[in-house]
Amino acid sequence: MKPSKFSVWLNLLWMFLKVNILSPSGPASIGLLYKEAVGKIMTEAQFVEAVGFSNVLPGSEALKLAMFVGFAAGGIPGVFTALLGAILPPTVMMLIVASVLQQFQHANWLDGFVAGLSPAVAALIIVVAWELFRASTRKKIDRRVVLIAVLSAVAFWFEVPSPLVLLGAGILGVFIYGRRSYG
Amino acid sequence: MDILLKLFLLFLKVNLLSTSGPASVGLLYHEVVVGKLVTESQFVQAVGLSSVLPGSDALQLAMYIGYAIGGISGGLVALAASILPPTLIILGVTMILHRVRREAWVGNFVEGLAPAISVLMLFTAWKIFQKGGATGWQGWAIGIVSLIAMSLKVPERIVVVIAALVGVFFLS
Repeated sequence: MKPSKFSVWLNLLWMFLKVNILSPSGPASIGLLYKEAVGKIMTEAQFVEAVGFSNVLPGSEALKLAMFVGFAAGGIPGVFTALLGAILPPTVMMLIVASVLQQFQHANWLDGFVAGLSPAVAALIIVVAWELFRASTRKKIDRRVVLIAVLSAVAFWFEVPSPLVLLGAGILGVFIYGRRSYG
Repeated sequence: MDILLKLFLLFLKVNLLSTSGPASVGLLYHEVVVGKLVTESQFVQAVGLSSVLPGSDALQLAMYIGYAIGGISGGLVALAASILPPTLIILGVTMILHRVRREAWVGNFVEGLAPAISVLMLFTAWKIFQKGGATGWQGWAIGIVSLIAMSLKVPERIVVVIAALVGVFFLS
């Protein structure tokens, strides 16, 4: 017997609630999602393609991946079901934490909290930046990647507004990466 | 300009120019801290907490920053603006997926974006470190130990929680 559409959506919602409660971030959710989705909802090849697309398109990674899986499972309504499941847990939690912390903005312990947090957050940003840089160079350090990195460093140094620099880097990418076949 | 509209446009822009939550930190910092919408301290809390709590970092950042600026409605507006670009793009892609395979220029745009985002993040990391509070030897110690721990694959949220606890007990 073919499962009803309603139960497909319900399963989808439950799956994404679960994945988003158990994993700390977009990239980390890929492994968990793989176990839940591959073989049941989509083939491995479809999943790999979805991950590839999520990395290539702008916007939050986790959301894009969720929507691809949702589409494979239940079409356009599946997209919105997956989206809902992916949005609810992180934002509800954050809303609670944010509203509590706003009450303590002038507490002493919060100063210490932030003082300890800052260096760790800076370290976290460096680590993520390095991973991003490495991922963009694929196997070897490419001359074009270095060119974009150096040009943007100079631009940031002279305090060119960052959206402009990013936009410029993207447009530069369109030109210098030129004709290249995608797998 | 109405603050909610400003928030909406801001998060729309940030989400069109970055590919994931952590990658948006650099740009977001310039928009909200340099633009004096939130304090340095609030921004550090937002980044730290979003890396600790489960679920998408990008949405949590949006929620926290939006809430700090405009209460619950601010949080919801920031959230909507973060969800909109990827949703529209995915709907577009899934609908034309059967005909158009990979749009090479979109891939190239994002590929060009990546090194610039990395550089921006390094600048941001330095600013957060400088202004975040502990800049004496304690700050350097926490920063360097965190960096080593993360490069040794200690889960990031554990490192962040420990650093914050060290702060609460020894730096306040």
